[in-house]
Amino acid sequence: MTFELSHFQAMFLFALGISIAFGFLSRRPALERLKYIGWSLLLFLVIGIGIGWLMYPFSR
Amino acid sequence: MTDETQSTAQTTLSGDVPVHSPGAAQVAPKSGGVAYLVGLAAWILPGLGHALLKMWGRAVACFLTVGVLVVIGAGMRGNLFNANGGDAFATLGYIADVGTGSFYLLAKSLEVDGPDVSRADGDYGTRFLAAAGVLNLLAALHAYEAARGRKA
Repeated sequence: MTFELSHFQAMFLFALGISIAFGFLSRRPALERLKYIGWSLLLFLVIGIGIGWLMYPFSR
Repeated sequence: MTDETQSTAQTTLSGDVPVHSPGAAQVAPKSGGVAYLVGLAAWILPGLGHALLKMWGRAVACFLTVGVLVVIGAGMRGNLFNANGGDAFATLGYIADVGTGSFYLLAKSLEVDGPDVSRADGDYGTRFLAAAGVLNLLAALHAYEAARGRKA
């Protein structure tokens, strides 16, 4: 079994997994968990893509 | 003094905000030995420690998250470190990988072609496997703390 994922797909799956685990471990009420997971996922993606763009001038 | 005012007085005297909200269910504190066993079980099989404490949501979340990260990491042909790595980074990588407990063996069995870090996918897979292990160690520590009654 081999996976061929794009950079974004890999980042999204990683961020989703970590966000869900952190949300379940650190929050108890369901709504709090959902909010935590949503924010964590959003920040993972925004910061990841932001750092990617910051590195763009040095990529060549 | 009523219970409510006593509670307020305790909060004020200690100077700390209560860790657990009043409505949050909390596991009855277990002895140190039992708590160690819960932590060990959580490490060996992701989610088992929380399942023993009847924290079903967390048990399923830990099992699925660590499992999915391991399966994807192995599927991307990430590097799974061995005990005799040779340098400090390989040793750290081994500690992270073995943090997945029994899922380390699952990753070994899934990677029939061995790792391939010559591509970006393989490099990402290495991070997936290490992150799964560290996440499981964190979950095991959480299960231990919950068994001691220090986490809700």
